[in-house]
Amino acid sequence: MSYDERVNAHPNLGDESDVEEEALVNDYREQVNFDDGMSELDRTTSLGGASQTQDLQAQLAAAATPLEYQATLETKFASYDNYCSLFHYILNSDGPVELEVPSYYWAWDVIDEFIYQFESFCRYRNRVARSGSNEEEAQLLRENPNTWGCYSVLNVLYSLIQKSQINEQLAAMKRGEDAAAFAGEYGSRPLYKMLGYFSIIGLLRVHCLLGDFSLALKTLDDIEMNKKAMFARVMAAHFTTYYYVGFSYMMMRRYGDAIRMFSHILVYVSRTKNFQKGGNSYDAIAKKNDQMYALIAICVALHPTRLDDTIHSALREKYGEQLIRLQHGGPDALPLFEELFRSACPKFISPTPPDFDNPSLNVDPVDHHTAIFMDEVKNTLYNPTIRSYLKLYTTMDLKKLAGFLEVEPEKLRSWLLVNKQRSRQIRWVEGGLLDGESVSANDLDYALENDLIHVSETKAGRRLVDWYLRNLARVY
Amino acid sequence: MGVAFDRCDTRPANIDAILSGLDRYNPETTTVFQDYVVQQCEDRTFDCYANLALLKLYQFNPHLLQPETVTNVLVKALTVFPSPAFSLCLALLPAYTKPFPSSEADAQSAQTSDFVESVQKLAHLSSLLESAQYAQFWATLNSDDLYADLVADVAGFEELVRIRIAVEVGKAFREINAEVLEQWLDVRNRESLEKFVTEVCSWEVDKSGAKGTVIRVPTNKENEARSEVKSERVDIDMFGRVIRRGFEQVA
Repeated sequence: MSYDERVNAHPNLGDESDVEEEALVNDYREQVNFDDGMSELDRTTSLGGASQTQDLQAQLAAAATPLEYQATLETKFASYDNYCSLFHYILNSDGPVELEVPSYYWAWDVIDEFIYQFESFCRYRNRVARSGSNEEEAQLLRENPNTWGCYSVLNVLYSLIQKSQINEQLAAMKRGEDAAAFAGEYGSRPLYKMLGYFSIIGLLRVHCLLGDFSLALKTLDDIEMNKKAMFARVMAAHFTTYYYVGFSYMMMRRYGDAIRMFSHILVYVSRTKNFQKGGNSYDAIAKKNDQMYALIAICVALHPTRLDDTIHSALREKYGEQLIRLQHGGPDALPLFEELFRSACPKFISPTPPDFDNPSLNVDPVDHHTAIFMDEVKNTLYNPTIRSYLKLYTTMDLKKLAGFLEVEPEKLRSWLLVNKQRSRQIRWVEGGLLDGESVSANDLDYALENDLIHVSETKAGRRLVDWYLRNLARVY
Repeated sequence: MGVAFDRCDTRPANIDAILSGLDRYNPETTTVFQDYVVQQCEDRTFDCYANLALLKLYQFNPHLLQPETVTNVLVKALTVFPSPAFSLCLALLPAYTKPFPSSEADAQSAQTSDFVESVQKLAHLSSLLESAQYAQFWATLNSDDLYADLVADVAGFEELVRIRIAVEVGKAFREINAEVLEQWLDVRNRESLEKFVTEVCSWEVDKSGAKGTVIRVPTNKENEARSEVKSERVDIDMFGRVIRRGFEQVA
C-alpha cells in the first residue's frame, strides 16, 4: 500500500466547523444587508408565475451550456442575469423547489460553467482595460461594475452551501453518522445537495483564482480527499478538485503534498483513459492532464521525491529533456520554470473592475503570481548544485567547495542555509488540508562545524511490506 | 508536532469568530482586523491567516485599502522567514504593485506611488532573507531611511529578525566563527554579540581556538546530521485486505 493510501485511510479528524456552520446559517440573513450580491439577485426577479416552468427548463439547460467563444458582451451580461434569476429562484422561493434536473451531471456543469464565465469575464474585462483599444466596450464595462461582481458570485456559492447544509451533512458522514439527519428540508433533495456540494469545489476554485491559497484549502475542511468522495463520481469534478488542491499546496511551498495530489489524480486518469475517450470533456481533461504533469515537473525539481512509476515514465515521456534541465537548476533553468508555470497555472483573475483610465496600471494577474512564484525559484536556484556536490562527500571544507563552484565562501554559506531550510517542509498527516507536520523532506542532511561541512545521508530501508502483500495476493 | 496554518494561539476569540464565519467578507470588519494588526505589531505576535483575511477585504474593496496597514502586514510577515507567509500576502495585493519589477526601467517608468515603492522595497528585503543573504539584508535595511519608516510600527523588528536568523544558524551550525555571525546578526561589537549568543540563544563562546573566537551551538535535532536508515512504517491497516480475505474464505 502506498503512502498515499495509508494517509487516506486515516479518518479525517479535527472538525470543529460544524457548530460554526450552524451559526453561519443564522448569520446569513443579517449579512444579506451588506452583500451587494443579493440586490443583484433581486434585480432580476421579474419572472411571471405562469411562464415560469417553461422558462425554467430553458434556463436550466442554458446554465449548464458553455457560451460561444465569440460571445458578445451583451451575451455575457444576459448570461449573468440568467444565472441570477435561476439561483434566485432556487434559493429564495417559498420552500424547496421541485425541479426535474436534466441530468445527473447537471449540478456540476452549472457550477463549473458559472465559475468559468466569471473567470473569463474578469479576464476579458482586464484585457479590455489593458489594451485600451475598444472604447465602446470599455464604456459598457465601466457602466456595469457589478455584473459578475465577486461578492455576487461568492454569495451564490455560499448560499447554496448553507441552504443545502452540505457541510453539516459531510461532517456527519465523517463522524460515521447518518447525513440525512442533518440535511434539513433543502439538503435532503438531490438538487440542493449536489449544488451545495459542488459549490464547495467551486469555492476552492474561486479562492485559488483570486490568489487566496490558504482559504482555498480551508474550504475543503469537510470533504475527504479520497475516491469515495462524492466529487469522484463526476470525472471533471474529481479532476478539478485535485488540480486546485495540488496547486494551492504548491503555492504554499508544500511540494510534497502537491505531488501527492497531482500523482493521485494522474494515476487514476491513466487507468481510466480508455473509457473516457470520446467524451465531450475529454479535451479539457487532456489539457489539464498535461498541465499537471508540468506542475509535477516543477515540484519534483524544487523538491526531489521518488515518484510513482506510472507518473515517472509519463513525465519523462512528456517533459524528459526539460525535466533534466529543471532538476539541474541554476540560472539557465529560470526561463523554463517560468514557461512551464505560465502554461500550467490557473487563469488568475482580479476581482474588481480595472482602472480603465490608466491602462498601464492594469497588470495581468497571471504576471503578478508568476513573478511571486519565480522569486522563490530564484532564491532556491542553487539547491540542486549543492545537493549534487554534497552527495559525493562525508566531510568537506567550505572554502574548498567554494573553490570548486567558483563562488565566494560567503555566498556558499547562504546556499547551504537555503538548501537546509527548504529541505524542511510541512506535510499533511491527518485532519484538515491545512494541517501538517514539519518533516525533513530530503535524504541528504548536513551540519557545519565552522568551515567544515559534515554530510550525512538517510538511506531508506528495504520496503518489505509492499513486497510481502503483493506476493500474498499472488499466492492466495 | 502538528502545525495548522489556519490556527494561531494568540488569536482572540472575536477574531476567530469572524474568520470562521461569513463576516470575514464584511467590509465593516476591516477596522477590527486593522486594529488586530496594530496589536500584533505592538505585542510581537503574528497571525498570518487573519492578516490574509484583511488583505482579501482590501482585494474586494480597494477603496478601503490603507497603505500603512498593508506594509505593516508585510513587515510582520518578514519576521517569520523562511516561510511562505510573505508571498501569500503578496498574492493578495493588487497586481499593479509589481513586487518584483522585472527591470530597473520597469520600476521607475510607471509613475510609482509611495505605496508601490514600499511594497517593492519590502519584497526585496524578503528575497534577501529567504535566500539567506543576511549581511546584505542588514546593509540594505540600513541604507535608506525609507526602510526605517517602514519598520517603525513593528515593535522590536530588528530583534525579531535577529532571533530568526539565530534560530536558522542554530539548525545548521555546530560551530560558527564569531566574525561571520557578527555580520549575519548585524551586531558590530564583540561584547554585545557574546551577550546575545549566551543570554538569548544559550550558546557557548570559545576564545581558545587558533582561528579566533568561535561560537559553539549545542547539539540539537537539526544540527547533528546523523546518518540513519529509515525503516518503513508498518501498521495493521495495511494488512486489512489480507485479513479480511482470510475471514471470507473460512466462511
